[in-house]
Amino acid sequence: MDDKQLRCLVALQDVDHMIRERAKEKELGFDVEGVDELQKMREEIAKSIATPLLRTYERLRQRYEHAVVPVKNGICLGCFVTLPTSIGSKGKENITVYRCENCGRILYWLD
Amino acid sequence: MDVQEFLSYFREEFFIPELKATTKDEVLEEMVQHVASKYPLKDTRLIIDMLKRRERLGSTGIGHGIAIPHGRTLSTPSLLVAFGKSPRGIEYDSIDKKPVHMVFMIVAPPQEESNVYLPFLGKLVEVLQVKHVRDQLMQVTTFQEFIDTLAGGF
Repeated sequence: MDDKQLRCLVALQDVDHMIRERAKEKELGFDVEGVDELQKMREEIAKSIATPLLRTYERLRQRYEHAVVPVKNGICLGCFVTLPTSIGSKGKENITVYRCENCGRILYWLD
Repeated sequence: MDVQEFLSYFREEFFIPELKATTKDEVLEEMVQHVASKYPLKDTRLIIDMLKRRERLGSTGIGHGIAIPHGRTLSTPSLLVAFGKSPRGIEYDSIDKKPVHMVFMIVAPPQEESNVYLPFLGKLVEVLQVKHVRDQLMQVTTFQEFIDTLAGGF
């Protein structure tokens, strides 16, 4: 796993948020008619993600609202558990996809 | 959302009195890079890509010379709002096909403690429906004038 995979996962989650919130945006008066095109973009991003990792993402998405969550001050902001120090220091290098040992969510270091 | 809370999300350092961009892609790049020069953002490329993808869902050019590019991404730790003016106008594929002169860029994290992103977006759209607010915003040159004008829309 590398940084590119994690960035693709974040992009995928961003698109999933757009699709999920389009009804609310429409209520505010925004044009959201291009959902088919957005779905195609989602498929394109998904193709860039290694199959096992994509499966993990999709499985987590069924369980949680957010499959990829930020880490701040060494805390998983999905379940608010403090991560082991060793994982924290490795994760900051951003070269590997890590998952929270407690909740299983994919971790994204913000700091 | 009351006026004080609404106004509190605007920051002087994210006020851009004269944008250089002339196209939609350029203005998204310019505004994200401007914010990144004042505030630590994890990955500006992810934010720009997210905003461009959102435009594929439908243009955020809402007419009357205004665009509100927006979206959620993990690359921002908090709700960030930037405003930029373009006296000469930006080609933005707006719903009324007219150039954009005012751009409100909003990026929010997927998870928010206060869950304020959509209420803020809704309030902004509401305030910008007031004609005299839009007209005055076109004239503002300072951040304080900008804030005073928005407050007048409540």
